[in-house]
Amino acid sequence: MQGQASHLPPNEHRYLDVIGVAKSFKGAAIMDQMNFRVAKGELVSLLGPSGCGKTTLLRIIAGLLQADTGDIVLGGRNLSSLPAHKRNISVVFQNYALFPHLTVAENVAFGLRARGTSKADAARPVADALALVRMDAFADRPVSALSGGQQQRVAVARALVVSPDLLLLDEPFSALDRKLRETMQIELKALLRNRGITAIFVTHDQDEAMGVSDRIAVMNKGKIEQFAEPSTLYAQPASPFVMDFVGLSTRLSGRVTEQAGGIATVTTNVGPVRARSGLAAGTPVLLGVRPELITPDPTAEMNQISVQLDDVMTLGSKTVLHGATTDDDNFLCELSGIRTDYKRGQTVTWGWAVDDTLIHAVPA
Amino acid sequence: MIMRLDRIGLLAVPGLAFLAVIYALPLVLLLFKSVQGVDGLTLITYIDFFGDEFNQVVLWRTLRVALLTTLLALAIAYPTAFAMARAKGIWLNVFLVALVLPMSLGVIVKAFAWSILFRSNGFLNTSLQSLGITDEPIRMLFTETALIIGAANVFLPFMVLPIYTVVRQLNRNLPEAASSLGATPWFRFTRVTLPLTLPGVVAGSAFTFSLAISMYVIPSLIVGERQQTLSMLIARSFLYLRNEPLGSTISAVLLAIAIFVVLFSSWLAGRLGARK
Ligand SMILES: Nc1ncnc2c1ncn2[C@@H]1O[C@H](COP(=O)(O)OP(=O)(O)OP(=O)(O)O)[C@@H](O)[C@H]1O
Ligand SMILES: [Mg+2]
Repeated sequence: MQGQASHLPPNEHRYLDVIGVAKSFKGAAIMDQMNFRVAKGELVSLLGPSGCGKTTLLRIIAGLLQADTGDIVLGGRNLSSLPAHKRNISVVFQNYALFPHLTVAENVAFGLRARGTSKADAARPVADALALVRMDAFADRPVSALSGGQQQRVAVARALVVSPDLLLLDEPFSALDRKLRETMQIELKALLRNRGITAIFVTHDQDEAMGVSDRIAVMNKGKIEQFAEPSTLYAQPASPFVMDFVGLSTRLSGRVTEQAGGIATVTTNVGPVRARSGLAAGTPVLLGVRPELITPDPTAEMNQISVQLDDVMTLGSKTVLHGATTDDDNFLCELSGIRTDYKRGQTVTWGWAVDDTLIHAVPA
Repeated sequence: MIMRLDRIGLLAVPGLAFLAVIYALPLVLLLFKSVQGVDGLTLITYIDFFGDEFNQVVLWRTLRVALLTTLLALAIAYPTAFAMARAKGIWLNVFLVALVLPMSLGVIVKAFAWSILFRSNGFLNTSLQSLGITDEPIRMLFTETALIIGAANVFLPFMVLPIYTVVRQLNRNLPEAASSLGATPWFRFTRVTLPLTLPGVVAGSAFTFSLAISMYVIPSLIVGERQQTLSMLIARSFLYLRNEPLGSTISAVLLAIAIFVVLFSSWLAGRLGARK
């Protein structure tokens, strides 16, 4: 199911077009030349560390914040000069921002009433929207009497009842406990899919981003480092930042010492490691290997390193081995099932295919 | 649990004792005088008071002045409170100082400062005349308008601060949520911002009205004996007429109004709060 949208030709990606958006606060540039496109019906995540500008971008798209330069085009209409209330973009805020002086039904009716729908005419769509999020039994309750998960459902119903052209969600699950969060993610994703809603989720949780979206834009310091399907992000991270931020990995720094036929040999603290790359000898690089691609029984043609185990974590469905390091390197290997044959302090040989080595040039 | 309650209850004893001895007791004695006849209790002073046409004029004027003062203070304070809630750092301090400093200045100083501004050869009149807006000096001092403006000025902090407190607590995302749901600025204001700040408006209005209904110094200085208010009548009854029953009666009327305002506003605040 995921990824359908990203295989569409680029033109089809032109539903939401963010063009050259820049924003600075008091002279400090938060965002510079932001460009990306979202297709109709696509569920997209903005994933990035705290303070990277996710909320700022969301607010600019919604019209709650004025960009310094750049344009927001939605469905062929340039929204840049339109105030928030004329954009038909709904927002689910991190704290839900339900109106505390109104009941659940009145909250959901708000957008319709603001558009001039009479109370009587709003009743039906409001009831439908509440049924959709299974909150119909709470219609006449004050919103302060709701739990976090219930408030979130009401916020979603309130945002959807007006049939928005775009739905923006700012960390919509962060106030929920882990279990509830997972349930709500599944529910919301199904709901948005069924109704063909185009949505952008803001999150700093990579699992959440992977779970709910067709494509993920990984943001760092006001820039999109990579915008791709979850599987691509994981398998072919475009930068060391993406490699680190999306998923865990064994990480080694070193320098290319030999280049032969598209295979770079990198000298690291634990010996030579080969990677498929055209980088020239002398280039400082960062190497990465996804932990589940590492095997403790390597074959001869694999990269091989020798690691002393620092920690063995049994997590039920998998066992995670940590290797001891003295520097920035990181040794991580994931084996399926419960493995009792590994002990802390033991020295083991790890191996992985040359093609599974991720390699990025880094500034010297 | 009971022990705990008792101990915490003990903390209230000094305050309650202070109120009982300094406030409640004298007030009860005073009010008692208003119903004390030659032989037993009587309501004759009340009948006399409300029957007197002059008293009716003063009562009505007092209520009118208090109401208009409250409205004027509200009109100025409401936007001010929003500006203050937005202000940061030095600007917030400027606002607070501008609000609190005049309180420490005292009403007398203010009143004389106003007279420089408002009198017939004062700054305002000379300006108006030199600009050719009027030929004759306009009578500003010793009018009810001057009293209302002066009172609103003095009581402004009591209106601003409760509203400011509420506005500051207002979740900034709420008006934004309203906008993103398609609400025009006016719809947003009337359906979200105003209802949510109304408790502050009620509290501030109750304060200001209570202060304005019982003010004595400000009208004495601004309008003098010409336009009496209830408080001035009370003072006159006790100090010049030596008519304790009359003074007590007017005090009781004033107290009744004040109690009504307090009860009404807390009922209103409760109703507004109950919807939350
Ligand atoms: N109104 C503002 N004035 C000044 N700086 C601001 C303002 N709003 C945001 N910033 C700054 O812009 C940067 C990006 O903020 P933003 O809220 O967009 O981050 P975020 O990615 O949403 O972070 P988080 O995950 O913590 O919510 C931060 O460094 C923040 O301090
Ligand atoms: Mg944020």
